[in-house]
Amino acid sequence: MRFRVHAVQAIFLACFLAVWEFATRIGNVDPNVLPAFSTVLRTLAELVRTDAFLSNAAVTTTRVLLAFIIGAPLAILAGFYVGERAALNARLAQPLNVLVAVPQSMLLPMFILIFGVGNVQKVVFGVTHIFFVLMLTTIAAVQSVPVNLVVAGRSFGATSTEIYRRIYLIAMLPLLVSGLRLAIIFDVIGILLAEMYASQSGIGFLMMRWGDDYRMKEMMAAVLLISAATIGFNEMMRLWETRLSAHAGSST
Amino acid sequence: MTAAAAAIEVRSLSKDYASSAGPVQALQKIDFDVPQGAFVSIVGPSGCGKSTLLQILAGLLSSSSGQVSVGGTAVTGPAPGKISVVFQDATLMPWKTAMDNVLFPLEIQRIPERERIRRAEHYLRLVGLENEVQRFPHQLSGGMKQRVSIARGLAQEPQIVLMDEPFGALDEQNRIKMGHELLRIWEATGKTILLVTHSLTEAIFLSDTVIVMAPNPGRILEQLVIDLPRPRMYDVIGSPAFGNIRNRLWRMIEIEPAEDEAMSTAPAL
Amino acid sequence: MMRKLLAALAILAVWEGVVRLGLVNPIILASPSGIGSALVIDGVPFLHAFRVTVTSIAIALLASWSIGVGTGLIVGATAFSYAAFGPILSSLFAIPLIVWYPMLIVWAGIGPESKILFAVISSLIPVALNTAAGVRQIDARYEQFGRSVGAATRTIYLRILLPFALPSILAGLRIGTALAVAGVIVGEMLASTDGIGFWISYHRTVYNTGHVYLGMLLAIACVLIANAVLSHLERRFGAWRLDELANIAPA
Repeated sequence: MRFRVHAVQAIFLACFLAVWEFATRIGNVDPNVLPAFSTVLRTLAELVRTDAFLSNAAVTTTRVLLAFIIGAPLAILAGFYVGERAALNARLAQPLNVLVAVPQSMLLPMFILIFGVGNVQKVVFGVTHIFFVLMLTTIAAVQSVPVNLVVAGRSFGATSTEIYRRIYLIAMLPLLVSGLRLAIIFDVIGILLAEMYASQSGIGFLMMRWGDDYRMKEMMAAVLLISAATIGFNEMMRLWETRLSAHAGSST
Repeated sequence: MTAAAAAIEVRSLSKDYASSAGPVQALQKIDFDVPQGAFVSIVGPSGCGKSTLLQILAGLLSSSSGQVSVGGTAVTGPAPGKISVVFQDATLMPWKTAMDNVLFPLEIQRIPERERIRRAEHYLRLVGLENEVQRFPHQLSGGMKQRVSIARGLAQEPQIVLMDEPFGALDEQNRIKMGHELLRIWEATGKTILLVTHSLTEAIFLSDTVIVMAPNPGRILEQLVIDLPRPRMYDVIGSPAFGNIRNRLWRMIEIEPAEDEAMSTAPAL
Repeated sequence: MMRKLLAALAILAVWEGVVRLGLVNPIILASPSGIGSALVIDGVPFLHAFRVTVTSIAIALLASWSIGVGTGLIVGATAFSYAAFGPILSSLFAIPLIVWYPMLIVWAGIGPESKILFAVISSLIPVALNTAAGVRQIDARYEQFGRSVGAATRTIYLRILLPFALPSILAGLRIGTALAVAGVIVGEMLASTDGIGFWISYHRTVYNTGHVYLGMLLAIACVLIANAVLSHLERRFGAWRLDELANIAPA
């Protein structure tokens, strides 16, 4: 069945690209409104050679990475701290779930009021996107460690740090990695949004400016690039998660 | 319906279906009768067609040729109120309580409310679950769930109860317990019961007659009347008479002892 | 109950004091009275903006729920379709959909249409994915059970099979609704002439902090109410489901 599944997926993708490609040539679609796939690809190839694009991409990437480097350790530490204290976790569970239910994109104007429109605001915005998701996932990861694993470890005479590293960590890794995956995706969303809303640099800013100038080819090229990058990233992380799960399941 | 008419009559029943490996004959010229009020088991290894046979008897599957009649009338589809089925794994609706699960088919069959409740309470009590009626399936053990399923089947007050490996998911202890329970319920209600199982021990212990099937194609090897006295206690399983019957049926099916043990000791859910 | 009320009042009092005393710059944080006065001063335009936004949200939800559940039913119908198209859906979920918005503005203008389209795209996938997952939870053996007790086909589908899928479907609707609300409001913030998003955005540029917070509180309230309603339904129809799917609303 796996072969058939992949065959169907490939056919689906091919049909989609074919429709996209020929919509402008055969159909009545205006190529200025919906450029063909090949056109977009060509535009993308040119774009990645232009300084303007590359420098803006670098700016966005820097912000994303910065937010991650700051936010991820904080979130994981907070997650560990809360996850291991059952009473604290029980009390925070409800407010945290409420916080996570509210899409943080909506809070951007508040961040601008507090932090202005500079890089600091954008990085902080990214950090908050990362923080709650990753913290909640870490809490879940801590709680997911099967108790009998720890008991078994103790019975072999393992010390506390050994228990921590070898048993806890390995058992938690799959969930942690999935949390990291979500965190980065939310981080990118937050940074791009902030750049679209109030910025003079970055991919988000570029997209808005292209939009003002009706430059569909460039916009679609950027969307294609970002989509491919995030999907690729997502799939790689998921593969890693699966491998870690198998390993965690077998390490007792 | 005269007293002498069989509850179930099967004549020359065959079932073929197409598969990727070519046409498969799941059942070939199956012939047997089940008298009123009898307890009959059908036993055989995997793939012998016993579940297919049960589904055809229940009206859930059509036959390719042959006749099946229940209570004198031919089976053309499900016959709620006449035939009820107890499925493997209880098949309870997890969002309903035990009581509501038993009530559900009665609601479908348009039994008036008072009567529905009376029946549900009666049969839940009969299976020993009068204190668990408001519990949900996830709060019940495997054996309890199966008892709810049996109560549900009985509450429809059918002429015939068809059971498809009802104790398959239970561990050995519970299988024995449930076997005893089932005999008690059978004696109390006088229903005709046809039970499909892959455990020889269970089949011989419970039944008046054991029908032995073999695969490729699915056919009946023998219909053996079990001459052991009733009521049957568990220790009859250790008796020489039981052993003889079992050996005889074993040889027919050519099942290894180890396999039979494995088949009658399924892991508990 | 009284304790919660008193605690809430205490928080409000502290909040008011903190701003009045200048401990926090009033541009950054509006006091409760500041928010209240914004409502009093500009109540009519505020309600108008609210109406515009809610209308867009309602239309977006109608579209994304129906298309999403429909797609999910088809994708989840067989093991094969789920194996083939499930991964496609969940891969698409990884794309930061915000990048689509400038294109949508070019295609649909800066009126409510682009917001609705954006909200629909944002919420479609979680609804479809969770619906498909829910359909996969349906145990086909129950169809046989239904037939054996004499249930009509419609009864089998609605009362026996559907409840298996319901908790998942409701989870998907809950996540999707949060995304749709955020989609509309963020869309209005980025490029619009009306709606709560625009209200928030505009008043931020003229430093009417009270107005900004008023709008944001309303937006947050919308999400929380929708979330509460759907969570309640999820619990009611899914209490029997002991294993919960991890579901977190994206930004």
